[in-house]
Amino acid sequence: MSAELEVPATLGALGDIAALVRRLAGSAGLGKGASYRIRLAVDELATNIVMHGYRGGDGRITVRGRSGPGRVRIRIEDHAPAFDPVQGRLPPEPHTAPERRRIGGLGIHLALTSVDEFDYVRRDGRNISTLTVMAEGTDPCPPLP
Amino acid sequence: MPLSVSLSIEGDTTVIELDGELDAKTAPDFHQTIEKAAGHGTSTVEIRMAGVGYMASAGLRSLVFAQQKVGEHVTIKVVGAIEPVARTIRTAGLDRSIVLSDD
Repeated sequence: MSAELEVPATLGALGDIAALVRRLAGSAGLGKGASYRIRLAVDELATNIVMHGYRGGDGRITVRGRSGPGRVRIRIEDHAPAFDPVQGRLPPEPHTAPERRRIGGLGIHLALTSVDEFDYVRRDGRNISTLTVMAEGTDPCPPLP
Repeated sequence: MPLSVSLSIEGDTTVIELDGELDAKTAPDFHQTIEKAAGHGTSTVEIRMAGVGYMASAGLRSLVFAQQKVGEHVTIKVVGAIEPVARTIRTAGLDRSIVLSDD
């Protein structure tokens, strides 16, 4: 299965992105755990684009997905200022008092720890993140259909 | 998917029950209820999450907000969170200051 969606960068559009991710996960036969992981990863990155990339201003997000047996790959593109999620990652700070914790970067951390593969490139003024999640127990190198 | 939030008092415990999905869009509804709960002055705030099928990092912000609002002398319990939600809470290290409970 292949699917593509372009939405305005608003919190209201995140539901449409989640619906597309759910369809791809279903098509790939992912179980509940892997389906949750890809949903969380895409949601965190898309939310970050809305809130911090475009800073609530006008913008678009394009999501392209492909599913094969036991595997979903999703690419997220935006035109916001350059942002490499790997650099923006913020590990948990368990010893910091709750009121001082910076939760913002935790969303990125959750996204990156939820996927099996992640890649980021900056190309032609666009941020492009590619995420892959495989069903539990899947061979790490299955060929794509 | 919408989030439904209800608030009640059971003795010296304020109960917030959440149903649905907790993300950047729905978290503000939860925040409003946290403000009300903080005004009750009970010794425990119990957040029942068995009905929460999905929680994003915005939900973590809500839990941190709850801690800030209710103050140090109040215990916050998260009850019934499904495993992926509980894992998110543990990943953030919040299980050190919030009681994660199955019942």
